[in-house]
Amino acid sequence: MRNDIPDRRAETDESQADLAAAVGVTRQTINAIERERYDPSLELAFALADHFDCRIEDVFEPDE
Amino acid sequence: MSEHTTSATTRPSTRKRYKRIAYGLLGAGILALWIGIALDRFVLGVALYWAGGLGMGLVQRFSPVELYDERDGTISRKASQSTMNVFAYVFVLGTPGGLALQESGLVTLPGEFYGATWTLFGVFVVFGASHLYYKRRT
Repeated sequence: MRNDIPDRRAETDESQADLAAAVGVTRQTINAIERERYDPSLELAFALADHFDCRIEDVFEPDE
Repeated sequence: MSEHTTSATTRPSTRKRYKRIAYGLLGAGILALWIGIALDRFVLGVALYWAGGLGMGLVQRFSPVELYDERDGTISRKASQSTMNVFAYVFVLGTPGGLALQESGLVTLPGEFYGATWTLFGVFVVFGASHLYYKRRT
């Protein structure tokens, strides 16, 4: 699943570790999501969208 | 902070610290076992090894942080699936193959073969029971 988390982090000058701490996962998990090697659970996707104050579909886009 | 945002108790730094404690206890137990064997104090070594393992379990169970996140769970699940697939091939192909070789007189199977076969059978019985349990709950 594609996502724009790196761009959103860059906008807020937030590190992977900061984001990981904010949503309760490891930095490696955030890294794996950004590299599209791991699809987050619905719960984590909600947490990420909530963190960036947007909807899930604004952050994530399914692969075609 | 939003409702989905994490509390301080689930911060990765804290998680890492508790993981170190948990694995450290197990490592100390293993070291104690080796030392116990080397010093011919086997019972004491095993007791300390069990204490280390128990300590690890207690830290994992009662630590104020979740030691593993969802990706850890996914990795563990995939690794378990791969392991069971390997076991399945070994069991399904290896057991009748070994018995066929024995019957044809080409080899004499050692007792370990039957031990391994029954162990694999036991693993699949446990897997089947576990699968049924979670199927009914999910």
